[in-house]
Amino acid sequence: MIRIEQAAWDLMVAHAERTFPNECCGAMLGKVDGVDKTVTEAVAIENAFTGEQGARYEIRPEDLIAADKAARSRGLDLVGIFHSHPDCDAYFSKTDLENSCPWYSFVVLSIKGGKFDHANSFLPDPDQTRAEPEPVQFPGS
Amino acid sequence: MAKILIPTPLRQYTDKKDTVEVGGATVGELLNALTTEHPDLRRHLFNDEGKLRSFVNVYLNDEDIRYLSKDKTEVGATDTLTIVPSIAGGSLV
Repeated sequence: MIRIEQAAWDLMVAHAERTFPNECCGAMLGKVDGVDKTVTEAVAIENAFTGEQGARYEIRPEDLIAADKAARSRGLDLVGIFHSHPDCDAYFSKTDLENSCPWYSFVVLSIKGGKFDHANSFLPDPDQTRAEPEPVQFPGS
Repeated sequence: MAKILIPTPLRQYTDKKDTVEVGGATVGELLNALTTEHPDLRRHLFNDEGKLRSFVNVYLNDEDIRYLSKDKTEVGATDTLTIVPSIAGGSLV
C-alpha cells in the first residue's frame, strides 16, 4: 500500500495539470515500513525526453540523485516515481514497463482535458516483463 | 575506503545501511566488495551474465562511469559512488 499525503498529492496533480498535454514526471519522498509507504513530499522533475512529450517522459539520473539527496537531507526516503498520462487512462504501458525499475512504486496520474481524472500505482518486476498493481490511497480516493 | 550510497529499496539487503564503505581501487572492485559483503544485493544490480542490469547507473561523485572508464574507473578514498536507476516511460503502448 502506498499512501500519499495532501501536500504531496496537491503538488503532483498541479504539476500534471500544468504540463498537460505533455507528460510530467517527479519523485515521491516519504517513509517506508515494510510494504507500506507514506509519501509526505513530492518533487517535480523536468521531463527530459528529447522528442514529443505527449506520450513519453524521461528522468535524468542527475535529477533523481538530487531528489535522493534532498530526501536524505531531511531524513526521508525516495519511495517512488510519478508521471502523467494525458488524455488516457492510468495504466502501466509497455513503454513504462520496458523503461522502469523494480525498486520503486510508480504512480500514474490520468489527466483528461487538462484535469485530474484518476490514478493507479504499480510495482514492476526486475525483468521488466510485468507490473503488479499496488493499492494506492490519496486525498479524495 | 570509498562510500557507496544505497537507494532506499535496496537497504533491506545492506542491513538497513544507507551508506556502505568498502575498499577497492576501481568501480568494479568496489561493487564486487559491496556484493561480497552483502550477497543478496547482487541479483538486484547484476544480471545472470554478471553485467550491471540495463536500468542501473553508477555515478562517481557527479559523473556517470559510462563516460569515464566504466568499471575500470579509478576510485579514491574520499570518493562517493551513487547507484541510481534509469527511469523513463510514457502512455505510448
